[in-house]
Amino acid sequence: MPESPSSAPRRFVPLLERRYTLELRQQLGWPQQVLVLALAVFAGLFISGAILVAAGVSPADLLNEFIVQTFTDPENLRAVLFQAAPMVMVGLAAALAFRARFWNLGLEGQMIWGAIGATFVSIHEIGPPALRMWLMAGAALACGLAWSVFPLALKMRLGINEIISSLMLNYVAANFLLHLVYGAWKDPKDSFPYSPKFQPFERLPEIFDGFSSAIVLAAVVALLAWWFVDRSRAGLYLRFIHASQRVADAVGVPVRRLVMASVLLSGALAGLAGFMVAAGQEGRLTQAFYNGYGFSGILIAFLARNNPLAASVVAVVVATLFVAGRSLQVFYQIPFSMVQLIQAILVVCVASSDFFIRHRIRAVGAVH
Amino acid sequence: MDLIANWLGNMPDAAVPFALAALGLIVSERAGVLSLGAEGLMLVGALAGIGVQLAVHEPGIALIGSMLAAAAVSVLFAVMVVWLRVNQVIAGLALVFFCQGLTGLLGTLLGWTNQPVTGLTAVALGPLVQLPVVGKLFHQNVVVYLVPFIIAGVVLYLNRSVAGLRLRAVGENPQAADAAGIPVLRTRFLAIVAGSALVGLAGGYIAVISTKLWIAGMTGGRGWIAVGLVIFARWSPWRAFAGALLFGGIETLIPQLSAAGIAMPQYFVLMTPYLVTLGVMVWVAVTRRGADETPGALGEPYLREERR
Repeated sequence: MPESPSSAPRRFVPLLERRYTLELRQQLGWPQQVLVLALAVFAGLFISGAILVAAGVSPADLLNEFIVQTFTDPENLRAVLFQAAPMVMVGLAAALAFRARFWNLGLEGQMIWGAIGATFVSIHEIGPPALRMWLMAGAALACGLAWSVFPLALKMRLGINEIISSLMLNYVAANFLLHLVYGAWKDPKDSFPYSPKFQPFERLPEIFDGFSSAIVLAAVVALLAWWFVDRSRAGLYLRFIHASQRVADAVGVPVRRLVMASVLLSGALAGLAGFMVAAGQEGRLTQAFYNGYGFSGILIAFLARNNPLAASVVAVVVATLFVAGRSLQVFYQIPFSMVQLIQAILVVCVASSDFFIRHRIRAVGAVH
Repeated sequence: MDLIANWLGNMPDAAVPFALAALGLIVSERAGVLSLGAEGLMLVGALAGIGVQLAVHEPGIALIGSMLAAAAVSVLFAVMVVWLRVNQVIAGLALVFFCQGLTGLLGTLLGWTNQPVTGLTAVALGPLVQLPVVGKLFHQNVVVYLVPFIIAGVVLYLNRSVAGLRLRAVGENPQAADAAGIPVLRTRFLAIVAGSALVGLAGGYIAVISTKLWIAGMTGGRGWIAVGLVIFARWSPWRAFAGALLFGGIETLIPQLSAAGIAMPQYFVLMTPYLVTLGVMVWVAVTRRGADETPGALGEPYLREERR
């Protein structure tokens, strides 16, 4: 079609007969980015809500369960914040590793080992009671870190894809956990598959009005992580590495050391998350406490674009989903896998919306 | 002797899902799309297979249902990675959890959980069954006998047909393929859907033929093992077949040993498939056998306007 001069009257071309091209955008302003993101999240929640309604939950209950109950009932708010603490931890753990372009999918395995380390300290009564909780947290950090050494070393030394290796190690850790709770560490009192209950001084204490100290610990770690990635020199270097490892290497950034440090930190934080679930919520080592945290961590880091402060906010949202999911399970017999489904739908919507942030679709040879 | 005979007899049944899933992954990865979603697609295939089987009591149709269901779900993944250019790792992980959630929910809502079905009866391959030791290898269900032919078909398609050449070109160098007039996006889209159908078949086989019932999360990591198997096989279907036999052999050896009275701690036994997967990946990396056969554009989205 010949180019029509701009003075000539525009000829309307039906939408389907135009030719479309895809262009990369330079940069979309942040208000538009936030708008697109919000629309994506809304679309995801809408689809999830529709599925729940189709599964037999009444829309009124849905609204009540997720929004009114969560934020008006102090009991529920406590539960959400309690649940949010380990979520913040796994979210930060994933974000730190992803910043170094390392797909640490072994968060669940590292959590398991963290909880095992903490339980070991509890069972063997290592250290005085006043220090016990801190020793347990330290052991959890160390064990989580140690479990992340394997995929890290395999990648660094042999170039083995960390996605597969860290995932395989989750299954190994999960089976080792079962070996312990069905074996040597089984509670002698009722012989259910969990460890003996922790002593009261081995549990994360409550602070004012029944709010757990876990959330305070999580907030402190989130601030430290924010300082690390946003304010420290290492954080700046990590941004280079994220953009291009080769270029970072060429300009003299100590790439290997920084990647190693972030992955080990990631493992340590996941270990701490394991401690939080064991010493906070469950009060003992149980057989499936880690379920769903691995993907939640990845989701939180992805939605927060690996930003520690944003990750904390997203973690609270995911924790709400978990708490509401549990009550749906009780009252409607909706399986807990629904929570996984909602999370996946959110990721799909947000990941797809990225397309509209990064690209522009233009009709060519038509209206202009 | 009995131990070895029983072991060989059970091995093919355990190897089939690995072989089919790896084959499906190879099809999409040869077109340049990293498919981490296998675990989820296998679950979809398993649930759909059980659903169809409960309705029509015909394993053949149930397996076709598995393939169609997984192919349908994979369209979501294909739209994400091919058209919307979403990071293939994120999209693959999202697909796994989407499928885990979806199958968990549907299995409960539809009441298909723990409902036993009838599978396929074993067919003896004539006098070969009388052979000592290896005889039981020739007393399998029909699908087992079909697997080598399915693999041969895919190999012929990939290596001997023009369409297969185009598919591989898209995975090696999409820019060059595009310049040669091959529709890159359409080829990748179809490769994902076709490969996913094979992965779904693997899941359907586990549920309908092997286990003969549905339980949430029943594939138990076999999809991830298949992803590792593809790396081990360096994207060659026949090497993947050999790897599948290896994994099937390990999976069936352990129950045989404990049945023979050799005591082993149960949960360490359950770790072995994952440890072996790690082990073979290390072995491949250490020996660095053969040339690097990774498809050149694996994991990279393609946009013509970005061509350099």
